[in-house]
Amino acid sequence: MPDNFNKNIEDALNSIDGIKKASPNPYFFTRLEARMQKEKGIWEEISSFVARPLVAFACICLVIMVNASVIISSEKSNHDTSGQNNELATVDEYNQVSSTFYEFVNTKP
Amino acid sequence: MNDERELIALLKKKDREAFKTIVETWQDMVYNTALGLLQNAEDAEDTAQEVFMQVYESIDSFKEESKFSTWLYRITVSKSLDHIRKKKRKKRFAFIQSLYGKNDELLIDPPDFFHPGVSLENKESATILFKAIEKLPGKQKTAFVLNKIEGLSYNEIGEIMKLSDSAVDALLQRAKKNLQLILKNYYKLMLK
Repeated sequence: MPDNFNKNIEDALNSIDGIKKASPNPYFFTRLEARMQKEKGIWEEISSFVARPLVAFACICLVIMVNASVIISSEKSNHDTSGQNNELATVDEYNQVSSTFYEFVNTKP
Repeated sequence: MNDERELIALLKKKDREAFKTIVETWQDMVYNTALGLLQNAEDAEDTAQEVFMQVYESIDSFKEESKFSTWLYRITVSKSLDHIRKKKRKKRFAFIQSLYGKNDELLIDPPDFFHPGVSLENKESATILFKAIEKLPGKQKTAFVLNKIEGLSYNEIGEIMKLSDSAVDALLQRAKKNLQLILKNYYKLMLK
């Protein structure tokens, strides 16, 4: 049995000795060219769509709007934080810092 | 060699006839290598097309420091290994999907691969060998396919894989050892 076993392995390893080269199906270049045209067509469509004046104008408007909204919201938040700063200053002045329960319990006289 | 240079120079100018000649000259080499690595005729054709598309797009990056065929082999090997990786990822994703009750045809194992260049008397053994080759790690598989299926010398494989002759030799020795081990396990299972 081991002889047969080893022979099977040897046969399998030698089975591709002298293998002939495979070729693609006929008209490979025609199919390749068709695929290249198709993919080129897709990119051309995308680029021509993006290059349209109306689309370009809309994109610019969108960018301006996003920028404006970011500036407005950041200004708003600045306003909010300055209010908070005033509050903190008042709390500091009157020593009204809220303490934790731990601090409350461990306060030395 | 001069013809080759002329063709490359024309391809850099995007000459259609030069591209056609290049494709027709090297299509068998590219397809046969891809088929050996991918073990699927459809995938090999797809990859061969992608290889020539990349050649057309990036011919300017070919500096003629190596042979044109070496450059082509490199693109073919990297595209084929990429394809294998993508397919594995898809299979894994399909498996996860199937756990949630969706059927996916990718889960079904593809039929045994039969290389058209193998003689009929060796068909059965070669099919088993190709199954074993499929299980080899990428570098070993590449070296084995280039050596056994493309019939390249250690030196040529070294140029393609950017390895020394001795490194290619070591890689092929490891590939053969692993193949023996895989085949041994396969025949053991068959005997049970």
